[in-house]
Amino acid sequence: MKFLLFTFLTAVLVILFNPFLPYWSVMILIAIFAALSGNKGAVAFFAGGLGMGLAWLSQSIYISTFSGSSLPDKMGELMGFGSEMPLLAITGVLGFLLGAFSAWTGSLFRKLFKRKPDNIYGA
Amino acid sequence: MKYIGFFVVLALTIALGVAVSTPFGAIPPLAPLLDPNHGFWQNSISEDELAQDELRLDNLSSEVQVVYDENLIPHIFANNEADLYRAQGYITAKHRLWQMEFQTMAAAGRISEIIVGPLALDLDRMTRRKGLAYGAEKGIKFAQETDPETYALLEAYADGVNQYIDQLEDAQLPIEYKILNYRPEPWSAFKSILLLKYMTDMLVGDRDLEYSNLRKILGEVMLDKLYPEYPIGVEPIIEAGHKWDFNPLEVTRPDSINYPDDQLVIDPLPQPADGTGSNNWAVSGSKTKNGNPILANDPHLSLNLPSLWYSMQLTTPNHSVKGATLPGALGVISGFNENIAWGVTNATRDTRDWYKITFQDNSRKAYRYGEKWEQTTFRIEEIKVKGELAFMDTVVYTHYGPVVYDKTFNANRQDVNFALKWNVHEGSNEQKTFLKLNTGKNHEDYNAALDNYTAPAQNFVFASKSGDIAMRIQGKFPLKWKGQGKFFMDGADPRMEWQGYIPNEHNASTLNPERGFVSSANQHPADSTYPYYVFDNSYEFYRNRRLNNKLSEMSNITVEDMQGLQFDDYYLHASEALPIMLELIGSDFENDAEAKKYISILKQWDFYADPNQKAPTLFYIWWRESYSQIWKELSENLAPVVLPNYYQTVLLMKNEPSGEVFDLKKTSELETVATHVKIGFSGLLEAMKKWEAEEGDFSWANYKRTKIQHLVPQFNSFSVENVYTGGGAGILNATSGRSGASWRMVVELGAEIKAFGIYPGGQSGNPGSKFYSNFIPIWANGEYLNFDLRTANQEEGVLFKTRLN
Repeated sequence: MKFLLFTFLTAVLVILFNPFLPYWSVMILIAIFAALSGNKGAVAFFAGGLGMGLAWLSQSIYISTFSGSSLPDKMGELMGFGSEMPLLAITGVLGFLLGAFSAWTGSLFRKLFKRKPDNIYGA
Repeated sequence: MKYIGFFVVLALTIALGVAVSTPFGAIPPLAPLLDPNHGFWQNSISEDELAQDELRLDNLSSEVQVVYDENLIPHIFANNEADLYRAQGYITAKHRLWQMEFQTMAAAGRISEIIVGPLALDLDRMTRRKGLAYGAEKGIKFAQETDPETYALLEAYADGVNQYIDQLEDAQLPIEYKILNYRPEPWSAFKSILLLKYMTDMLVGDRDLEYSNLRKILGEVMLDKLYPEYPIGVEPIIEAGHKWDFNPLEVTRPDSINYPDDQLVIDPLPQPADGTGSNNWAVSGSKTKNGNPILANDPHLSLNLPSLWYSMQLTTPNHSVKGATLPGALGVISGFNENIAWGVTNATRDTRDWYKITFQDNSRKAYRYGEKWEQTTFRIEEIKVKGELAFMDTVVYTHYGPVVYDKTFNANRQDVNFALKWNVHEGSNEQKTFLKLNTGKNHEDYNAALDNYTAPAQNFVFASKSGDIAMRIQGKFPLKWKGQGKFFMDGADPRMEWQGYIPNEHNASTLNPERGFVSSANQHPADSTYPYYVFDNSYEFYRNRRLNNKLSEMSNITVEDMQGLQFDDYYLHASEALPIMLELIGSDFENDAEAKKYISILKQWDFYADPNQKAPTLFYIWWRESYSQIWKELSENLAPVVLPNYYQTVLLMKNEPSGEVFDLKKTSELETVATHVKIGFSGLLEAMKKWEAEEGDFSWANYKRTKIQHLVPQFNSFSVENVYTGGGAGILNATSGRSGASWRMVVELGAEIKAFGIYPGGQSGNPGSKFYSNFIPIWANGEYLNFDLRTANQEEGVLFKTRLN
C-alpha cells in the first residue's frame, strides 16, 4: 500500500513540476520527497523509479496519441530503432532509472540521521 | 557503513544524472532529448494546438494582429513598417528559427560549430575563403552609411527574432537544436544581409577554370565551335529585335592578352547545384480571357525541408503584400500587392572572375601589379570546431579580392595563387529592392526599386493592375570586353581589370512588347545586338523555347492555363534528340527482344515526361550514355573541364554526324555520332537490365525519385522521398530528383487580385508538425493554394489569431 502510494505520489510530483523544471531538478525533488516520506531502500528505489518511469511513459504516450504526429516514428528511425515503440520504452526506462536512484539516495540520506540503525539489508 | 552506502548511491545517482546530460560523440544528451516535458516529444505538437491569443512583443508602437489561415500562413497587420518587420522577424522565428540560423551559419562558414567532421571544416574554409562574410560586412556598412532607413528596419526585424529567442522555452526549441545539442544565438541585421549573400553564392557560378583548361586543350577555334557564345536558334529573354535606346559605354580591349597558360589540375569552386534555374513570365491583358495581365513565377532550386520559402501576407495601412518570403530577410521576395506583381529568375552571367597573383616572396605581403608591388592584407578566420580547438585560417586579400586557393588550401593545387573578384564583395543593398517592391504601385516604382539591386543578378518580371508588363535583367554587371573573364586572367596586368559596370539604365529591359508577353527561363539575356558582353556557360536552351512557343500561340489565357504551363512536362530536348538517335541506331538491335521493346516504347512516346510514362526513363539513360560516350575524351582529361551543352551537342549530331568532333583521337577507327549512339544504346540495355531486375518498374517518377531533403541530409527521416511527380531538368516543370520548382505563383491583376501559390514543403519548420510537409502532395499534383489578399477581419478559413503587443 505504502509502495503504491509512494509510486503514485512520485508520478504526481513529476507531472506537476517537470513541465517547469528540468529533469535534474525533478530528481532532487524526488530525493527530498523520498527522504521525507521515509521509505526503506528497496521500496524507495522501485516506487520512485516506477513513479517517474510511468509518468514519463504515460506523458509520452499521451503526447504521441493526441498529437497524432509521426515525429516519434521519425525520431525512432533517426536514432536507429526503426520506430516509436523502442523510444517509448527507453523514455520509460530512463525515467525509471532517474527516479529510482534519486529516491534511493533520498531514502539513504534520511537514514544518516536515524539514531538507531535500521538496516534491513545488511544484518 | 551507512555513510559509505549513502555516498556510493549519491555518487551513482549524480553519475547517472551527468551521463544522461552528456553528449557521446554524435549522440546528444539523452535526458533533455527524451524528457517528455522538454525533449523531442514536445515537438510532436502542431502549431494550432499551441495557439495563443496574445503574445508579448516589446518595442511596438501599437498592437499587431496576426491571422493564420488554415494552411498556417500568417497575415500580419501592423500600423507601420517598423512594427511590421519587427513582427515579421518574430513570427518567422516562431516557425522557422532553426533553418534561418542554420542557413546563416552555413553562409558565415560556421557549420563546424554544429556538425562534427572534416567535411564541415573544408566547407567552412571554402565559404570563408570565398569571402561571403567579408561581403556581408561590407554590405552592412553600406546600408548603415547610405540607407539608415532600411538599416533601422533590419534592426527591427532582428529585434523581433531576438525577442522570440528570449521567450523560447525548451519544450518549443526546434528539434534540430535538441538533436545537435546547441542553442540559438542572437540574430542581427548582419545575418539578414549574410543570407542574401548566401543566395548569391547559391546562384552564381563561373567556369573560368574549366574554360582556361579547354582553351589549352582544344584551342580557340575548336572551343568556339563546341562552345559557341551565341548558338544558332537562341531565343533571348528580351524579345529579339528590341531597340536599345541608349548609347553604350565604350570598352577597350587590350591589343595583346597573355592568359596564364597553365593547364590547371585543381578542384573548381563549388558551382550552383544542377537544376538551379527558374521560369517567370507575364502576359498582357490583350492575350488573356479577362483582359487582365497575368504573372507567373517558379524559381527552381534544390528541394529542401524546411522549405527555403515561407509564405506570408504583410499589411500596413499603406500596402498589403503577399507571397514567398525568405526566412531571415525582410519583406516578400516573390509576390504581389494590391497594384503590382513581380517574380524572379536567376540571370546567370559570369560576374565572378579569377586573377593569377604573383607574390613578391613567400611572405605574400606584396604582389605584382603593373610595374609596382601592391600590398596585401591578411584576414584571419577563426573557425570554431565542435569539441575541438578552433582552426585558424589566414586568407590573403588583394585589391581584386581574396586569394581563395593558396599553399594552405586545396592540397592538389599547382603552384599558383588565384584571387577571386566578385561583386558580392562590394557594398550593396538588395534588401532595399525588396522593401520597395513590396510597397510599389507601378512600373516606375519597380524600376526605382531595382536600381538598388546588385547580386545575385535576377530577371525581374513585372505586371501591374494598370496593364503594364515588363522584364528587366538586373544586377551589377561588370563592363567587359569580348572574352574578358571567360578564362583566368593575369592579375599583374592592370589592363585585365574590369572597366567599370554597365549602368542600370543600360541593363536589358523591355516594357509592354508587341508580342504581348515577357518571359525568362535563364537563357541569353538579349540578342546579339545588345552592345555589351554577356557571356555565361550556363544559359539554358530548352525551357525558354517551349515557354515562348506556348505563350506565342496562346490566346484567351486564363489563370488555369498559366498554372498548366508551370506544370508542363513537355521534354523538348527529347523531342529534338530522340528522332535523330532512333534514326542513327538503324536496325542494329533488331534481334534483341528487350531492345525492340524499349525502342517501341520510345517510338510511341509523345515526349511528355509525366510521372507514369516509361519512355522518359529510357530516353534519359540512353541520352546520358550517348552523351558521355561522345565527349569521352574531353571528360577523361585530368584537368577539370565542362562539356559542350546538350543543345550544342544535338545541333552537332544533326548537322555533322560524321564530323571530326565525333572521332575519338585515341582509337584507330573513325567514329561517327552513330557509333556513340549505338554504344549508348548498349549502355541503356545494360542499365535497364539491372534496373528491371533490382527495381522493376521504370516509370519516370519511380526512376527519378524526387526527394525533398532535410537541410541536414543525415536526418533522413525528416526528408520526404519518392514524391510522385513528373517533369525534369530542361522541362518547364523542372522537377528532377533533387531540384525543381521551389515555389509556384500565378497572379491575375484584375480589379480584384486573384492569386495562387504553392511550394514543396509546409509553413512549419518543425518535422513533428502536421504543417511541415502538407503542401507537398498538392505541389506534386500541380495544384495550388488560394493566395488572395486577406483583410484583418475576414473570418472564413481562419486557423487562429494572435495579437502581438
